[in-house]
Amino acid sequence: MSSTTVESTPSPRGAESRAQRSGNGSSSGPGPSFLRVLNSEFIKFRTLLSTLILLGSTVVVMVGFGALSAWGTGQFSEAAAQDPEVAARLAAQGGDIAVSVPTSGIAFAQLILGSLGVLLMSSEFTTGMARSTFAAVPKRIPAFAAKLVVVVLTSFVITAASTLVAGLVSVPILDNYGLGLDLGSSQSVKLLVVNSIYVAAVAAIGMALGTLIRNSAGGIMSLVGLFFVAPIAFQLIPGDFFVEARKYLPGNTVDPLTAVEHVPDTLEAWQAGLVLGAWVVVPVLLAAILLKKRDV
Amino acid sequence: MIEARGLTKVYGDKTAVAGVNFTVEAGRVTGFLGPNGAGKSTTMRMIMGLDRPTSGSVTVNGSPLTGHAAPLRDVGALLDAKAVHTSRSAYNHLLAMAATHSIPKKRVHEVIEMTGLAEVARKKVGGFSLGMGQRLGIAAALLGDPQTVILDEPVNGLDPEGVVWVRNLVKYLASEGRTVFLSSHLMSEMAVTADHLIVIGRGRIIADAPIQEIITGKGQGRTRVRTDQPDRLMQLLAGTGVSVEAQERELLEVTGLDPRQIATAALENHVMIYELTPLQASLEEAYMELTKDEVEYHSLITTGAVPVEAGGN
Repeated sequence: MSSTTVESTPSPRGAESRAQRSGNGSSSGPGPSFLRVLNSEFIKFRTLLSTLILLGSTVVVMVGFGALSAWGTGQFSEAAAQDPEVAARLAAQGGDIAVSVPTSGIAFAQLILGSLGVLLMSSEFTTGMARSTFAAVPKRIPAFAAKLVVVVLTSFVITAASTLVAGLVSVPILDNYGLGLDLGSSQSVKLLVVNSIYVAAVAAIGMALGTLIRNSAGGIMSLVGLFFVAPIAFQLIPGDFFVEARKYLPGNTVDPLTAVEHVPDTLEAWQAGLVLGAWVVVPVLLAAILLKKRDV
Repeated sequence: MIEARGLTKVYGDKTAVAGVNFTVEAGRVTGFLGPNGAGKSTTMRMIMGLDRPTSGSVTVNGSPLTGHAAPLRDVGALLDAKAVHTSRSAYNHLLAMAATHSIPKKRVHEVIEMTGLAEVARKKVGGFSLGMGQRLGIAAALLGDPQTVILDEPVNGLDPEGVVWVRNLVKYLASEGRTVFLSSHLMSEMAVTADHLIVIGRGRIIADAPIQEIITGKGQGRTRVRTDQPDRLMQLLAGTGVSVEAQERELLEVTGLDPRQIATAALENHVMIYELTPLQASLEEAYMELTKDEVEYHSLITTGAVPVEAGGN
């Protein structure tokens, strides 16, 4: 600190208004309205390099997996043209295998953006930033809601945009193998929208976990447990209960929501929508209630 | 003005703050003193609405912080030097804080200049020294030009220049009619900074009085005298209510007489004295005296050790 200059007298800004204000509690000037807190949360979001790296990684992973998947799908369909056995398997899959190519990286996007959701809140607590945040917004809930809006909107936009780019990259690759991918088809649009909503939901769940657990590693591990470990564990545990319960895991709601027609032994689309909604609403409400109650 | 009424905070089976009542008035610097774990930081966090009181209440200008329309413009606090995301720059941190209250960028630059952070404002806070972290905390506290300023151990980690700067700053803020509440473990610092002292020990208020009263209230003022003829002077000064202690050769410590009376006695009897020092700055002693039964963690090594505050509980 020896190199910095120290002013012995602070700037007297506000000295005149001070005389009128001193001794009473009335604030002069605007307070933390929701839009201002939202702006603050957005500044916090964009001024962290780690956030930008995670967003960039999502795009890279989504586009990379889209391209790889386009190539693999092309190889597969080429093999099918020569081998009746493979052709039969292809037919069993419902024919249009190109349409899901742009969203083939979703599993990784949800992991990255879900972790981002965890980190944005857990880092508030691990770094002590929460004390600054909630001293400025003592009601706490506006700051939580604003951060949720930032997390959900960003996750949706990034997923949708990277799905679109992945699609644009995949089209010429698929074209090489004589496969057509119409990004404007209703199924393409449906996949893009549903998957983007789904990833936004995962990010919201992540943020709720980060708020509840207040620890980055713990929050991310819980998220991984819910989305990656539980589905496998439920499959391995014998018994009808786990077979049934597995359908209600948040990660298993996307297929019913995007299916062209209802697949037996899965949830109906509307049921899947409700289940996913519940998986978001319950943790988020719980997180908000506990955030309001607990000490920072 | 900050008012605590029956303010209590219990963590599990440990009572951190036990029903304290105090008022921090505007227009003066109020110091908050107490040994480790006495409840200072807990009290300050409750003022800021970060910790919920178990019972009782604390208000700033008549209402709890959650009831304020523009909290950052009413109360600014430095509770922890690094209540900041370590990967964000100081400027962006202040910018995000300012955005919650539509505080203009101009003010962000002002507080950066004011706290001497201009050169490092664009650097990540994670690389800051403790002193720079304190300056950033003070910058954040002043961001909303608040009527009430709360500083928890503001001079911790500051260089001597910074200590003087904080001292002048808090005095200046109080002179503007603001409420200034600061804790410090540097009791000598309190003696030259604070106008009023609240002493806390084991969650209870031990003393709440003007600083002068706390210093003089505990025992009479002492004076150190050096003379060529200590024996002669001892005889001259002897009297009721006066105690003279020979500390070493030619050095006496006199209690019960003020320096003028000692000098007069010496002059009249042609005893030369070559040092006459009023030992008034004994806030440490007053503090030790006040808190001796309240210290949470007694030092086992030295009996006379000052309980050093390591920064919060």
